[in-house]
Amino acid sequence: MKKLTKNIFLVGLAVSTLTSCDNSYLDLEPKVSIDESAALNTSKDIQVTLNGAYDGLSDVNVWGGGSQYIKELLVDDRDVVFGGTFTTLDEIWRKTIATTNGDITNLWLDSYNSINRVNNVLSAISKVDDANRNRVEGEARFIRGALYFDLVNLYGKFWGDGDNNTNLAVPLILTPTRGITQDDYRTRATVAQVYAQVIDDLTKAEQLLSSQVDNYGFASKNAAAAMLSRVYLAQGNYALARDAANRVITSGVHALAPTFADAFADGSNTEELIFRIIVTDQDGANDLNTFYGSTASNGRGDIRVQSKFLSLYSSEDSRGKFFERVNNLNFTLKFADRYGDLPIIRFAEMYLTRAECNFRLGTTVGALPISDINKIRDRAGANLLTNLTLADILKERRLELAFEGGNYLDIKRTKQSVGALTSNSNALTLPIPQREIDTNKSLVQNAGY
Amino acid sequence: MKKLLLMSFLLVVGIFFQSNAQERKITGKVTSSVDGSALPSVTVQIVGTTKGTQTDTQGNYSIVVPSSKSVLSFRFVGFTSQEIPVGSQTTINITLKEDTKALEEVLVVGYGTQIKRDLTGNIAKIKSTEISDMPVTTFDQAIQGKAAGVVVNSGTGKLGQGIRINVRGQGSISASTQPLFVIDGIPLTTNNLALQFGSTNPLADINPQDIESMEVLKDASAAAIYGARAANGVVIITTKKGKSGQTRVNFGYQTGSSKPTRKLQFLNTEQYVNYYKMAAGNSDRIEGINPADGDSYTAYMNSFFETQGLGTFGTANQVSTNWGDLAYQDAPMSQYDMNISSGTDKTSIYVSGQYLDQKGILIGNALKRATGRINLDHNLTNKFKMGASMSLSRSLNNRLSGDRQFDNPMQMVALPPMTPSTDPTTGLPTGSLPGDPYVPYYYNPMVNIGNAFYNTTVNRTIGSIYGQLKISKDLIFRSEYGVDVLNQLEEQYYNSLTFRNTGVNGGLGLARTVRVENYNTNNFLSYTKAFGIHSIEAIGGMSFQNSTAKSHYIEGQDFPSDSYQTVSSAARKTGGESWETSFSFVSYFARANYKFNDRYIFGLSARVDGSSRFGKNKPYGLFPAVSAGWVISEEEFLKGNKTVSFLKLRSSYGRTGNAEIGTESSVNVRNFPQRGLFAGDAGYGGIPGQRPIQLANPDLSWETTDQFDVGIDFGLLDNRISGEIDYYEKKTNNLLLNVNVPGTTGFAVQTRNVGKLTNKGVEFVLNTENLVGAFKWRTSINLAFNANKVTDLQGQIIEGGLSTMSRAVEGQPIGTFFTAEYAGVDPNNGDALWYKNTKNADGTVDRTTTNVYNQAQRVVVGKALPDWTGGVTNTFSYKGFDLSVFFNGQFGNEINFYGVGRFSSANGRFEDNQTVDQLNSWTSTNRNTNIPEARLFYNNGAQPSSRFIQDGSFVRLRTITLAYNLPKTLLQKANINSMRVFVTGQNLATFTKYTGWDPEVNADDIVTNVALGYDFYTAPQPRTITFGVNLGF
Repeated sequence: MKKLTKNIFLVGLAVSTLTSCDNSYLDLEPKVSIDESAALNTSKDIQVTLNGAYDGLSDVNVWGGGSQYIKELLVDDRDVVFGGTFTTLDEIWRKTIATTNGDITNLWLDSYNSINRVNNVLSAISKVDDANRNRVEGEARFIRGALYFDLVNLYGKFWGDGDNNTNLAVPLILTPTRGITQDDYRTRATVAQVYAQVIDDLTKAEQLLSSQVDNYGFASKNAAAAMLSRVYLAQGNYALARDAANRVITSGVHALAPTFADAFADGSNTEELIFRIIVTDQDGANDLNTFYGSTASNGRGDIRVQSKFLSLYSSEDSRGKFFERVNNLNFTLKFADRYGDLPIIRFAEMYLTRAECNFRLGTTVGALPISDINKIRDRAGANLLTNLTLADILKERRLELAFEGGNYLDIKRTKQSVGALTSNSNALTLPIPQREIDTNKSLVQNAGY
Repeated sequence: MKKLLLMSFLLVVGIFFQSNAQERKITGKVTSSVDGSALPSVTVQIVGTTKGTQTDTQGNYSIVVPSSKSVLSFRFVGFTSQEIPVGSQTTINITLKEDTKALEEVLVVGYGTQIKRDLTGNIAKIKSTEISDMPVTTFDQAIQGKAAGVVVNSGTGKLGQGIRINVRGQGSISASTQPLFVIDGIPLTTNNLALQFGSTNPLADINPQDIESMEVLKDASAAAIYGARAANGVVIITTKKGKSGQTRVNFGYQTGSSKPTRKLQFLNTEQYVNYYKMAAGNSDRIEGINPADGDSYTAYMNSFFETQGLGTFGTANQVSTNWGDLAYQDAPMSQYDMNISSGTDKTSIYVSGQYLDQKGILIGNALKRATGRINLDHNLTNKFKMGASMSLSRSLNNRLSGDRQFDNPMQMVALPPMTPSTDPTTGLPTGSLPGDPYVPYYYNPMVNIGNAFYNTTVNRTIGSIYGQLKISKDLIFRSEYGVDVLNQLEEQYYNSLTFRNTGVNGGLGLARTVRVENYNTNNFLSYTKAFGIHSIEAIGGMSFQNSTAKSHYIEGQDFPSDSYQTVSSAARKTGGESWETSFSFVSYFARANYKFNDRYIFGLSARVDGSSRFGKNKPYGLFPAVSAGWVISEEEFLKGNKTVSFLKLRSSYGRTGNAEIGTESSVNVRNFPQRGLFAGDAGYGGIPGQRPIQLANPDLSWETTDQFDVGIDFGLLDNRISGEIDYYEKKTNNLLLNVNVPGTTGFAVQTRNVGKLTNKGVEFVLNTENLVGAFKWRTSINLAFNANKVTDLQGQIIEGGLSTMSRAVEGQPIGTFFTAEYAGVDPNNGDALWYKNTKNADGTVDRTTTNVYNQAQRVVVGKALPDWTGGVTNTFSYKGFDLSVFFNGQFGNEINFYGVGRFSSANGRFEDNQTVDQLNSWTSTNRNTNIPEARLFYNNGAQPSSRFIQDGSFVRLRTITLAYNLPKTLLQKANINSMRVFVTGQNLATFTKYTGWDPEVNADDIVTNVALGYDFYTAPQPRTITFGVNLGF
């Protein structure tokens, strides 16, 4: 009997050990990330989400370099040779882009990823305290407007190439995503719709933002106006483009750097930069350095500038000497610092835009076109022009802004051909990424792909 | 009636004799023929009676027999039974021979053991003797080809890197496909813990010589006891235990060296120059450029030869460097083993130590490992037993960059051959300052030697304790508690001379620790009872596991000088990270096996698993299994049959799960695939930032695999021929997929349970004793066929691999190669051609060719998973000599020879050196060739296509071992118990059509569940010859 009692006791002990675990052992919390319910509750939460949107914008596939080199290589006509091993860039340079090309896929994905971050900010803008609300909304709208401006130009037919009201651009997403429903399988909005959104966002941004910012890595009133000048220029709306550029010039905030090289010197937060992407050795990356930089400048030495382009500079022009020669090949020095900021809009561009628009319109808002152009040439040490043609202005633009990401718009809006391709050739528009076509049956692929 | 009478008569006579005989006491000792150790718990029985006893822990017994005519039988699982007539003896010492016929073999199953004869599931056992001579760094490499349906791919010849193991096919697309590893009851940490490049292999911390056996649980009835962890199979590792009897001390020493299994031939300087002059000339011709023009391709190439030759080109000092050969080093290995096994009737102990010092075949690659183990078992009382095991290991792996990195030594083969390997002006490896750092054309990995390191140190403690209480004769309660603590330190340093590769002028240093604390407890009751012709074995219990990983990382740049190598000296701290993640499982399990009349066997098991990884709506899953076996050879109509000595039919059906969800995801979401998450890693401009990183899915749960298995176990001719045949179907549902969602949502994927796939296959195992007697010849063969097919992805296409050439798509196996189909060369102009493969209006496929790559539709051109895999081992022994010859092979898979195909057999598209077959490229006088015209900087056929997707089938002479056991008589004089000398060759011969380095390949920084079978300048397997000696005292 005693033995039986003992056995029952032991079995009971065993059973109690067996069942001693309960559900609380399964409720583990993530330590690196936080639940979305805890993410957007305070004014500060929204502000750090805005900063996250800048982080998205600065991604190497977006303004950390990808957007710029796509816009340069796609319209390059042997000013450079792409000699690297990355087939994604090679395809872009050769205008034989596969719909699966990783760079064009990543530009799409990472742009929309940043747009979602912006939409998270804007959807909760009412939670931002009064002191910061206008700034936060203005910066968020700047980022979204700028991203859609890239997307509409690269993935849609160019403004005015046919009917803007029927030409397809990209889906227009203005609210944050919390789950996937049928509504998320959007169709492509028209070029006109996307442009309208871009102008709305940038115009509001210009209104909401202050012109004085401590750091040109963040959007200001001038950054929004400068971006608007690009948008209007793309539309051929020279009056509004001129006025926007003129507002920046006359704001008194920005100035040309003393020398051309100074404009690309990192760390000085130079007044020449209306907007830049901040890269430090701890955060961000500069993919223009990666591909345009020589191996001596810690780049891959992939994009080699040809003598065809170098010969465009007159011998005394300091910009023509802003190259280095490594392995018998020429590389631009604009992005020679691995951890250098990326120039997005420089003050010089405003002079060039104002000059071009004034010239085209026969106006002299702010200054004579030739004096704007000569300001640029003077700084570079190039001989000053005594008379001016539209071709001079466009050439000056190319000489000044080469490789910074502006050539795509310039080629498209001035309808220049690229080798044998006309500017409206299908091959000069990116395909909608294949993964997106495969995922969302509501999307229509671009002609030629 | 007559028969009955006769039997009664004999019985009466028997009783008569028995009662008249003289009772006598017999004593003796039972030992094992394997190592002479005492065998405890051997059943000693008087034949024809129920009277019997068991040997004690020292192997001693004593029994009273009724007469000199009595016969004693000695039986012990795993050994051949013996019957000895008593005669006039009073002392009977006996040595039991190990049963090689495997039917009586004891198999370790989840939370218990079973005898192979009674098994209703499918378990493959690999014994220590099968792997102990193999010169492998990690024991998982040794499984390859040893067990039917267990496919091992070592991936690369770099030391200590992760290995892929598939049990009965690949069962998942997004979650882990690797089996659960359980060592002495404790689930092991096996995840890749590398900061970057190739994966680490936490199994490398286990000393293969400590392993007594490995059991691979393959079918559902065997594996379902591990529930949500078991869908990829379970590998149970049992370490060696102390044996009672005399203390045994064993020493082992192995030494040898390795070479690559194959080298490839690239162009020499003369060939290179001619080829590239031709390529440049062709490009000039195409663009109408005068070759004399300074901007011409020809001019570029001529200046390239000069620059890259460092002044030697065209002079008497011109060189032709074989860069490929310089990637390899002498690769010696030495291994020292010691173990002590001892035991008394109360306590047994096993102590071991090993030191391994090995160099890899690639320059800079080495591994050192020291391990120690104590396994202790002690009987406190008759009822209470306890034990502990503790293993400590420290390993130092001098690792290399990933295959895709410029400093991967294998990529040296692509450096132009006119570049001297030593800079003539400095005497240093070319590319070292103060010489020109931009020659050779790409970074020279030799500069890394002495100037860079990637040291990974792992300290691993795996320990467990158990207590076992015999509550009654039949009921045992066992409680186990185990911890597996893995501390890994990765230190990387690249001094200023390596700046071209790192992009950092003043030196780059990185240091990172990972600590994984994994603890587990198992508490279960087991009940065993035999009554009459019924026997029951049952267990029930619970287990709990928690694993927490923490990591810290720091990166710094610009050191005062190359003498400073730790991050504290770096001028700028350029990176830092700290993370923590964890998961837990709470599980309840039960199993019952019932055997009737030794011939009908039924099994039932179930496990309930809850995991922190599952969504709120599905916290627990149930994983049941049923099985049955019928030992036909016990039936009257077959009993005593001379031909068929054993025949069993068995079948099982059950469900297992895969809960390894999100284990390889970024640390932001790792182990939390079900939650909607924001991460705070989105700082910008020195200001903190956050971003949404994952969409929630509260319905997320495990992947479910339903597996059916039917099999036959047979033995013929007194079991001289034995084997197994199995057919199985594994259907996996609720596949966890990172389902593509429209990128416009701001997310690329959401993790959902949506897909289905199947693995169906057959397995054959055949063991034969071809010759018995003085000259013995045994053969064991295993062969398996598996067909993997993705059956439902809801239209999703999961892509992966370089140039997204791999995919998982409905109707095809995982890892299908999907790309343009190469159609050779246009004989008229040397253009590469592809089949259009577009659909015509009538539904047929357009098989015309095009030279415009984008006009070619992508199609399925191959698959990375093999159809057939297997191994054949022949063992010969004569007197003291043993010869074992082991072949393994796999058939039906393709390899994507991507790296060479895109860069080094690439029509002179880049300046990379080319394989010699490119000399057969198209020219106006060589029109019938498959190799397109050479065109500098043009892509003429190197686009992703079927061109470089090749048959990856191979047969390999994996190991061959010749051993000699010195005669005992000779050794006794020297007080040596046993001495064995052996020589082993590994990978001595490979038979394959694959033209790359090695068909056993998975490029380390590319491979995923979908991106399989890539070769990107991947290190071949080593061909190793070792000499070894084992001494026993």
